[in-house]
Amino acid sequence: MSTLGTLAVGTFRETVRDRLFYLVGMFGFVMLASTAVLSPLTIGAQSKIMTDVGLAAMSAFGLLVVVLVGSNMIRKEVDKGTIVTILAKPVGRRQYLLGKFLGLNLTLAAMLALMGLLFFLVLTVAPGAFSVHYLGAIYMTLLELVIINAVVVLFSTCASAPLSAVATLGVFLVGHLSQSIRDFGHLQGSPLQQRIFDAVYFLVPNLEVFNIRGAVVHGDLIPPGQYLLATVYCLGYAGLLVLLAGAVFRGKGLR
Amino acid sequence: MATNQTVAEPGAGTACMAGPAPAIHAASRHGCAALEVVDLTRDYRTGFRRRRQRGIAGVSFTVAPGCIFGLLGHNGAGKTTTINCILDLVHARAGRVRIFGREHTDPAARAAIGYLPERPYFFEHLSGRELLRFYADLLHIRRPEREKRIDEVLAVVKLESAAAVRLRKYSKGMLQRIGLAQALLGDPDLLILDEPMSGLDPVGRRQVRELLQGLRDRGKTVILSSHIVPDIEMLADEVAILRQGHLVAQHRMADLNRTTIYEVQLVAPRGAGSGILEDHIVRRHGEVLHVQTAGVADLARLLARCTEQQWKVLGVGTHRSALEELFVDQAEQGRGS
Repeated sequence: MSTLGTLAVGTFRETVRDRLFYLVGMFGFVMLASTAVLSPLTIGAQSKIMTDVGLAAMSAFGLLVVVLVGSNMIRKEVDKGTIVTILAKPVGRRQYLLGKFLGLNLTLAAMLALMGLLFFLVLTVAPGAFSVHYLGAIYMTLLELVIINAVVVLFSTCASAPLSAVATLGVFLVGHLSQSIRDFGHLQGSPLQQRIFDAVYFLVPNLEVFNIRGAVVHGDLIPPGQYLLATVYCLGYAGLLVLLAGAVFRGKGLR
Repeated sequence: MATNQTVAEPGAGTACMAGPAPAIHAASRHGCAALEVVDLTRDYRTGFRRRRQRGIAGVSFTVAPGCIFGLLGHNGAGKTTTINCILDLVHARAGRVRIFGREHTDPAARAAIGYLPERPYFFEHLSGRELLRFYADLLHIRRPEREKRIDEVLAVVKLESAAAVRLRKYSKGMLQRIGLAQALLGDPDLLILDEPMSGLDPVGRRQVRELLQGLRDRGKTVILSSHIVPDIEMLADEVAILRQGHLVAQHRMADLNRTTIYEVQLVAPRGAGSGILEDHIVRRHGEVLHVQTAGVADLARLLARCTEQQWKVLGVGTHRSALEELFVDQAEQGRGS
């Protein structure tokens, strides 16, 4: 197996054996199951409520895993010293970082696949609720989480675990509000404020690109080009962040 | 600062070509230095104002292939910092490190190294065998060979029975052993061991000593960092003493052993102590004599005479170790400066 593959599988195995992962996974399942309980209360919109809550829960629990596991993933290995025996082998620092990033992406993909499976199982109780477009929404959620993963990897190379977690959550919130923030800046009128809000808009990832949950729940068709663009945007943005994280990590003393 | 060096100057005899990765083994065969450290300097930033604090300064030494090289110093003398700089775990402010002729920053140079940190900590969710598989994959050991190699190193560190146990259940000594196993996994030409005896019981310490001697006999190079003089004394061919981040002395152990004082306890009839023996008797209890000799050569002559005269030898011990004397002297000089 290649070095990257070894590091990624090692990270995946670690997160899978982490109790936190199971706890969050279980909680996700409970949330999905609860939609089945809540939906009878919503007369006429049963399937929409189930789908909406289910897709939102997947995104929320994915975010929780990225923030909790990602902020600790590298910092823990540096603090405890596990990293030194790895980097004393013929492993470059960038390789190490990329391996950890890919490993957590693997975990997210596995988790979303598992939750998606349960989601579709729950939908079978609501006749007519199933749509293949929900797979697209789950795929977009994965792309969004990949970007958040890259953000947390970058922060964890230069900040403590709690600070990385808080900063990542901040990026997540601003990332979903970036268009509104830009519009607000333009409404203020001051050129300086406009420039500042424009800078925020271009620096922070536009996570609304990946939010097609509302559209698929209401049966709107998503053109294939949108998936392609979102994929390119995700890979480009996450790639840049991981490169930046590699540059920061390269200069760090690890003992 | 007084620096006492009796071995090769840094950089001497190290004109090696750094070719592709397999050249590392070739380099060790062709007399290239296993490790060359030149003027290594490392500072730390501490406190709120990020004040600069010296970690190590101008540390230079060369390690020939096939020897055990001891790095001796008190806690905080700079041993671990030196090792961290060699492995590029921390970046040196100045200086140069070459491993079998390759720059230490080149990951391929580290393929020749097996490293055991001072307080090894590994993934607790893995079993001993799973951990070794992980490291074997990082070393690109092919799968059929991998399991064979893992079995071999587990046998060397006597952990076969605990191979399937998760590391969170390992004792400190077992963690030290599995750490040693991962260091040996790639059959490295250069082993860097930071306090390898720490956490081991007397039997374990002896096993590690025998293991290191065996590795030296196979032509491997070992850098042994320790603050325990007898460990270095028993194993090292060369020793460098670090104090407050400076390398203050470097000697061949054979040179030091020439001035080590040994004490022999023997039974000889009254009036038998003549010649070389008479001048060296320090105590006498009836027929039991305590005789001291300076250096291994004198000790050998005395033991030969005991055999010749059929005097019973009750015991041989080190009365005053030259290395210990040197170490204490250096420590006292450090307090005085």
